[in-house]
Amino acid sequence: MAEMVRKSSVDEILNHWILAGSCILLMITGFAFLFHMESVASVFGGFNAMKDVHNWGGVVFALSMLYSMRHYLKDAFEYDADDAQWFKVAGGYLSHKVTVPPMGKYNPGQKLYYLAVVGAGIAIALSGFAIWFMKDNGAIMLLAHLVHNVAFCIFVLAVPVHAYLGTLANPGTLKLMVSGTLPLEEAKRRYPKWMKAAGKM
Amino acid sequence: MANETKNRKGILVTPELCIGCRACQVACKSWNQLPGVKTTNTGTYQNPPDLASTAFNLIRYNEVPSQENPVRWLFVSRRCMHCEEAGCMTICPSGAIYRTAEGAVAVDRDKCIGCKLCVNACPFDVPRYDAQNKMTKCHQCSDRTSNAMLPACVKTCPTGALKYGDRGEMIKTAKQDGFKTIYGEQDLSGTGTVYAFKDEPKLYGMKENPTIPGSVVFWHTYLKPLSFIGLGGVVAAAAIHYLAIGPHKEKEEV
Repeated sequence: MAEMVRKSSVDEILNHWILAGSCILLMITGFAFLFHMESVASVFGGFNAMKDVHNWGGVVFALSMLYSMRHYLKDAFEYDADDAQWFKVAGGYLSHKVTVPPMGKYNPGQKLYYLAVVGAGIAIALSGFAIWFMKDNGAIMLLAHLVHNVAFCIFVLAVPVHAYLGTLANPGTLKLMVSGTLPLEEAKRRYPKWMKAAGKM
Repeated sequence: MANETKNRKGILVTPELCIGCRACQVACKSWNQLPGVKTTNTGTYQNPPDLASTAFNLIRYNEVPSQENPVRWLFVSRRCMHCEEAGCMTICPSGAIYRTAEGAVAVDRDKCIGCKLCVNACPFDVPRYDAQNKMTKCHQCSDRTSNAMLPACVKTCPTGALKYGDRGEMIKTAKQDGFKTIYGEQDLSGTGTVYAFKDEPKLYGMKENPTIPGSVVFWHTYLKPLSFIGLGGVVAAAAIHYLAIGPHKEKEEV
């Protein structure tokens, strides 16, 4: 059997799916609140029960988001010349003919996506807690309501892109986010700079 | 935001005719089964001091300087304005706040989730929360008006300071009777509680240029559609990308 490389630790994979699950649950319930979707609310047992699901789902999401920082935050702040070139060829997603520069463990699109999730995530969590617990402060409520909805738009636009690029657009990546490992040869091809840094090539 | 409700009913308040008897307050409590609450005398006949979950309407007693007398005592009924463009209804996340067939803004208690967003979206500081954390306010006695009865406050008013009827006709009549200013005729696309004044509404302590908070209007006009169209847009873009360009292919390398 081919030698395998571990890209994601077990706790990273677990946390990723808790983050993803809570995020999708929050987006569904959020949409249901935004557009008064009775049928969606009925699934949770009405708007009152859905509010509890949304609030406590938000707690899970916030904790999971904070925990994910130990996996991705350091990488998300490091960019080099290859990353700049990656943007020039749009990551190779708009044409299969261009040459994509060699990448490290994460490409700059993933790194920027993570920063967007952290930024919008902190904003949506803090404003959510404000709406939950600071009901009697009018100015804070209105500000939090606006911030919550701006951040919601960021999530609604960014998360489906991430889900598409992590599944259909890049065959094999979903498997990687389940098992956490991939064959060494594949790792060398996809993440050459990471493999070099790890002394495997 | 909203279209003018057809055959809209409303309450016309003529503060000039009000004698401050507060029968409207009592009738409201009686019909809506609201308890009396002990308050403290703060040197005014106005009691309770403001709207509450147990007080859907009240008479405000305004004392204003006057040339002829030591003071002018102006009575004006305060309650939900039943805005055509209702900030509370716009922001409510559970659809608990709704418009009745008569054009009033009412609350479905069972649907209210107690988030208090309506409190901050109301230009008139009307919504109040009760002990069960449900929003309460004047609903223009929708349970009476839907059965061809007058709202309790209007029914009891001895002077005609409160009238209930076709909103447009009442405004027309009031103007013919020489009331120069109809407060609420245009504000918030027209309120369901309108006031007929000969003096400046400001004198009666009416709020000048009431508006829904800008952030709520921005959210409703731009963010709500953006979230919906945006989601559809990125899903469509992903589908088009998959079909037109296709997924990533591993290049044959040495």
